[in-house]
Amino acid sequence: MSKLVLEELTKRFDNIVAVDKISLEVAEGEFVTLLGPSGCGKTTTLRTVAGFYKPDEGRVKFNERVMNDVPPVKRNTAMCFQSYALFPHMNVWDPHMNVWDNIAFGLKMRKLPSQEQKKRVSEALGILSLEGMEKRKPGQLSGGQQQRVALARAIVTQPDILLFDEPLSNLDAKLRVQVRVEIKEMQKRLGITSIYVTHDQDEALAISDRIVVMNQGRIEQVGDPQEIYLRPRTSFVAGFIGLANIFKARILGFEGNLTLLSAPFGALRVDLGRSYPIGAELDLSFRPESMSPWTGVGGNKLKGTILHAIFMGDAMDLFVDVAGHRLRARAGSAARIAAGDEVEFSIPESTFQVLE
Amino acid sequence: MERQRVGFSTYLFLIPGVGFIVLFIGSSIFITITQSFGLFSVTGTSQFTIDHWVALLGDRESLDSVLFSLKMGFLSSAGTILFAFPLALFLRKGGTGKRFLASLVKIPLFIPALVSAFLIINLISYHGIVNEVLVALNLINRPLRMLNDRFGWGVVGIQVWKNVPFVLLILASSLASIRDDTIDAARNLGAGAIQILAKIFIPLAMPGILVSAILMFIKAFGDFAITSVAGPVYPPSIALRMRNTASLFQEWDKAAVLGVIIILTTLVVTWLYAKLAEFVTGGEG
Repeated sequence: MSKLVLEELTKRFDNIVAVDKISLEVAEGEFVTLLGPSGCGKTTTLRTVAGFYKPDEGRVKFNERVMNDVPPVKRNTAMCFQSYALFPHMNVWDPHMNVWDNIAFGLKMRKLPSQEQKKRVSEALGILSLEGMEKRKPGQLSGGQQQRVALARAIVTQPDILLFDEPLSNLDAKLRVQVRVEIKEMQKRLGITSIYVTHDQDEALAISDRIVVMNQGRIEQVGDPQEIYLRPRTSFVAGFIGLANIFKARILGFEGNLTLLSAPFGALRVDLGRSYPIGAELDLSFRPESMSPWTGVGGNKLKGTILHAIFMGDAMDLFVDVAGHRLRARAGSAARIAAGDEVEFSIPESTFQVLE
Repeated sequence: MERQRVGFSTYLFLIPGVGFIVLFIGSSIFITITQSFGLFSVTGTSQFTIDHWVALLGDRESLDSVLFSLKMGFLSSAGTILFAFPLALFLRKGGTGKRFLASLVKIPLFIPALVSAFLIINLISYHGIVNEVLVALNLINRPLRMLNDRFGWGVVGIQVWKNVPFVLLILASSLASIRDDTIDAARNLGAGAIQILAKIFIPLAMPGILVSAILMFIKAFGDFAITSVAGPVYPPSIALRMRNTASLFQEWDKAAVLGVIIILTTLVVTWLYAKLAEFVTGGEG
C-alpha cells in the first residue's frame, strides 16, 4: 500500500496539453475516482501513474519516493483495463493462458515459488468467486467473468496501487452495477490504494471515497461524492454531475441569514452560507430534485407551466416554464401531472449553490 | 435458423471464380496426375503404367532434387521469418521515419524473382561488387563463392531478400492485431522486454508466422527462377529438373511425376500447417 502524490503534473502530446499542472494527494487505502468527459486527461493521469507515460513536468510520488523515472515493471501497480486485456489462449508453449495462467502471470514474472503462486491464485479465485473456472480459456468467459479474472490478476500481485481504466464500460447496465459493488467490497477488504477512471458519474458517486472532477486537463473540484453532488463549485461540475438548473442572479438585499436575489424567473430567498455585496451578480445552481410541487410549507414558491412530464418509474421528470425560463423539476411518481398543467413549486432556501 | 435456399442463379455467380479453378487448375492437375501414370501421354502411347514413378523414385538424382528443394523451402522460410519478424516488430508503431522505412523495404516486392536474382548476382557473384570491395580492402585474398555454391546459400539469400517484404506484410498485420492494452497489462504485471516478446508477441503472432512459413515454403520449394540463376550446378531444384525432363529430355510423363511430387508436398505441408494452426490457437482462432 502506498500514498500517492501528484505534484504539478503536466503531460503534453505534441502541442496538446493533456494534463495541466495537476496536484493531488491520495491517502493509503483510499479509493479515488478521476471523473470527467473524454479528453479531460483522466486516463493520461492514470497511465502516468502506471508509468506508461513520462510526465513532462511535475512529479509522481509513491509514499515519499519520486517515481518519474521508474519503469512500469518496477512500480508495483496493477491496472484493470476497459478491454480486460486478458492474455489469449495460445498453445505455443507453456503457459497456455487459461484463467489460472492469466491470474498467475504477474507472480510468474516475479518468480515466486510455485507453492506461493498456488496459494495466492486460489485466494484470488475465492475473493472474486471464480472457483471452478481455472481451466477455462478467456474466450469462453462472459464479459463480467473476464473483468473478474482481470481483477484477480491485478490483486494477486499485492500491488501498492490499483489502477482502474474504465473497467466497467464494456459491461451491460445491470452487470456494471453488480461488478462495481464487487470492486468496492474487494477494495475495502484488501485496503489497496485505488485510482479509478470513469466518465460515468453514477459509477463515480457509488464507488468512491473521493471524486476528482477533471476538465480540459485540469482539476475542477475534489471532494467526497455528497460534496461533489450537493455542493458543486463550478458550473462545469454542476452540469457534468447529475442535472442542474444553472442561472445568473443579482443580490438585492438581506433578510436575517437569507439573501434576497433577483433571478430571471423571479425573486428568491436563499441561504448562501456567507454574504456578498448588494448588487453583485452570481452564478447559481440547484438540482431538479430540490424543485418539487408545493406542499404548503416553506421554501421559495414559484408558479410554472409544465412543458414535458416524463414518467421515470421512481419519479416524474418535469420540464417547467417559469416566467419564460426553462427549469428542470421532479415530482413523485404518483403525481398526476401532464404537459400544459399550471403547477406551484417550492425550492428550499438552502439548496442553492454559488458557482465560481 | 431456417437455412437459406441457394438458387440456380447463385451458382451462376460462382462460375467465374470456382469455374476457373475447376476448369483450368483442376484439369491441369488431373492431366499431370494421369500423365504420371502414362495416360493422356503427350509423347508415345497412352497406357497405364507405374514405370515412370518407379524410375524416378529409384533415381538418385531425382531424390537429390527433392531433398534440395525441401532444404531450400525450409531454410528460405525460416530465414525470411527471422529477418522479417524483428523488422515487423520495429515497424509496429508508426512514426514519420518508420513509415518511410516501411515503404523502402517493400521495394523488392515489386521486382520479379528473376530480375532480383540478377540484381543480387551483381552484388555477390565471384567478381561481384561485394567480393571486389572485400579484396580491394585486403579483407580477403580470394573472392568468396557466394553464388552457385553447392549448399545453396546463394538461393536462400536471394529468397530472403526477395520475400522479406512479403512476409513483413503478413507479420505486420498479425502484430497490429495485438492490442496495446495486452502489452501494457504485461508490462504492468512485471514483464520485461524479452518476456513480452516470448509471452506476448511471438505466441500471439504465431498464426501469422505460420501463414508466412507455409507460403514461403511453397514459394521456395517450387522455385524455378532463382535456383536456375543462383543455384548449384548439381542438384537442380525439383522445378528446374521438371523443366529439364520435359523440354530438354522430352520425357513429359516423368516430368509429370515430378509435378505430382511438388503438388503432393505442398498439400502435405498445407495440411500440416492447418493442423498446427488449429493446435496453436487451441481451436479458438
